[in-house]
Amino acid sequence: MNLTSIIGLGNVFLGDDGFGPLAIETFRCKYECSPDVEVLDLGTPGLDLAPYLYDKRLVIVVDTVHSDSAIGALSIFQEGDFLSERAKLRITGHDPGLWDSLAHLRLAGHAPLELIIVGVNPESCEFAEPISEEVWSTAAKAAAMIAKSLTERGIACGLRRSPAEPNLWWLRMKEPESSTAASGALTHA
Amino acid sequence: MARISIDPVTRIEGHLRVDVEVDGGVVNKAWASCTMWRGLETILRRRDAREGWVFAQRFCGVCTTVHAVASVRAVEDALSLEIPPNAQYIRNLILIGHALHDNIVHFYHLSALDFVDILQIPKADPAKAASIAEGYSSWTGNSRQELAAVQTKVKGLVGSGQLGIFSHGYWGHPAMKLSPEVNLILFSHYLQALDFQRKSCQIVAILGGKTPHIQNLAVGGVMNAINLNSLATMNMDRLGMLKAILEDLIPFVQQVFLADTCLLAAYYPEYLHLGRGVANYLAVPDLPLDAKASKFDLPGGIIMNGNLAGVRPIVNWQDAEFRKAVTEDNTHAWYQGSQFTPYKGQQIPDYTDFNADAKYTWVKAPRYNGSPMQTGPLATVLVGYASGHAKTRKWTDTALNRIAAVNGLKVTPDDLQSTMGRYLGRAIRSSILSDLALEHLQLLTTNILNGDDTTYNAPKFPTGEIMGMGMHEAPRGSLSHWVVIEKGAFTNYQAVVPTTWNASPRDEKGVPGPYESSLIGTPVVEAEKPLEVLRTVHSFDPCMACSCHTLDANGKEIAQVKVQ
Repeated sequence: MNLTSIIGLGNVFLGDDGFGPLAIETFRCKYECSPDVEVLDLGTPGLDLAPYLYDKRLVIVVDTVHSDSAIGALSIFQEGDFLSERAKLRITGHDPGLWDSLAHLRLAGHAPLELIIVGVNPESCEFAEPISEEVWSTAAKAAAMIAKSLTERGIACGLRRSPAEPNLWWLRMKEPESSTAASGALTHA
Repeated sequence: MARISIDPVTRIEGHLRVDVEVDGGVVNKAWASCTMWRGLETILRRRDAREGWVFAQRFCGVCTTVHAVASVRAVEDALSLEIPPNAQYIRNLILIGHALHDNIVHFYHLSALDFVDILQIPKADPAKAASIAEGYSSWTGNSRQELAAVQTKVKGLVGSGQLGIFSHGYWGHPAMKLSPEVNLILFSHYLQALDFQRKSCQIVAILGGKTPHIQNLAVGGVMNAINLNSLATMNMDRLGMLKAILEDLIPFVQQVFLADTCLLAAYYPEYLHLGRGVANYLAVPDLPLDAKASKFDLPGGIIMNGNLAGVRPIVNWQDAEFRKAVTEDNTHAWYQGSQFTPYKGQQIPDYTDFNADAKYTWVKAPRYNGSPMQTGPLATVLVGYASGHAKTRKWTDTALNRIAAVNGLKVTPDDLQSTMGRYLGRAIRSSILSDLALEHLQLLTTNILNGDDTTYNAPKFPTGEIMGMGMHEAPRGSLSHWVVIEKGAFTNYQAVVPTTWNASPRDEKGVPGPYESSLIGTPVVEAEKPLEVLRTVHSFDPCMACSCHTLDANGKEIAQVKVQ
């Protein structure tokens, strides 16, 4: 049973929304942790997030979080920051899945003991746009932040002696046709 | 006359707007509008056809595996490439695991609260609830202690005055009809379902390498290494783990999920006569049993005008009529051009704002020989029942008998053409799939024990243009991916997805789609709280992500109901 989940959320096709998958892949390649830590790219799972939070000791969610800070600014948030009126933070479209899954698990007695969110303030989450320079360059910092959060909690995590090559499959392979922008459509997340 | 606009509809995946015109307390016109642009297929063009599935499974955050499998099937069809029986069985087991997961989550977490009133639960008598539950199901998780513990949790929630995610329910609505005890039983299963959601995910993870994005697919088969003597591959231990998970999961599907939908039908019989809508049904054959995909464990077919005596079977994926009959109409969708066959399909936006008489949605209108079609578990069940499929007959008859056992209500297969029929159909299909999961696991095990360890036939791509179509009967209905390939890369890619069939707008003749038709005749007691409308919309299990686009733009937006 894996007690700790490090979860990247976001859609790799929506510009900066791909930050979560990028950051956890960066983390996976640079760091190694105790075997009960699971690193997962969950995309945009909605309520299907619940199985990955079930009975965990610690869950670290990495995602884009809209805030008033600078583009690419990285922060650690807790649930209360999102639920309190004054924080006025807004996570991207997958947040209903996160809060609903947490509420369900809490009632059922299987919620994670601790949940933190490593969030980056995105520039734009437009369909078929590349990730912005500011957000891209934050991935290594986010990986270090995840590692620090683990070691602070007594969970073994250190730099790999020889880092692995990140598998950013959505950026490689044959280039897609450039998409036609849809005027008037809601295409940002 | 009042015009009610629900935007967005909550407890669905993605972004859907529903407008209804109510006259004399009854809906007389309806419009379904998807408010997000669909452009996903553009991502696939010019990509390597062997790796299209990796991208296709990101069409939707929820139905990942279904697009992955439809994509490899489409490419294999274009190449006329057979895949080894082991690969068929492994894919089938993944698809069943995903479908059970999806259907359990839909019933309990996305739709049960349209019928279950949480605020009634504190008034329940747990002992009485336990005796009711034990009367209708042999499930062991319905003890008085279990139900009392759930009631204590709900009392705490209600007493705190902070209902959180439950604060927007239509509690106390006159259309809520369950006793406090039945509300308690169903909500207890709502919480227990979380554990079974997890178990069905484990099936997909063991076979697919990872969830929700499986890693083991390939054009030509699967990449699971089979070696009974190796710990790192598919071996008897893994097969045994799968069996153990299924034996734990199946009683919940057949004795709880199915029983609960039957209980709802008995308490809400009016929904067996509401929401019929488009009575043309489409189901495609799935769960192939051999390398050629010539035999299937789930039958496909077409039923027109609700005539259950006249099913037209779709015997296999080569079905010539299906390949010619499917078109997509843009008369009322925000795209240029009028009508396309999927191989020539495109999506060039033509946005006009919501205009009920002209263009009003990002969903195209798929048509089958010019007719709208309803697809989904109910279509599978009706096609299976009408064509005499033994497991469909068994589980449909079991469901109808269970309803009669609750309060004597007599329900016929024809009554399943309704809102409640869609809920029942999903549980009946899950019960059938549960039986088939064990059978396909046995087929896989026997084949491996007989010495067959092949899982993959390497594809070879010609330089000229080839076309192919891959089908899958997904949790929400018939899915087809249509691909055009040249020199190993896609030159066109179109997915005709279940929610596009069901959430279809009107076509050039003004004929509405299944969501729209099914709402006609729905009573609306309180215009500000259109619970009855939501019950019928939710019965289709809308998942707008792949039918249009990906994410909701306004994360914390609360459903807005506007009455004019």
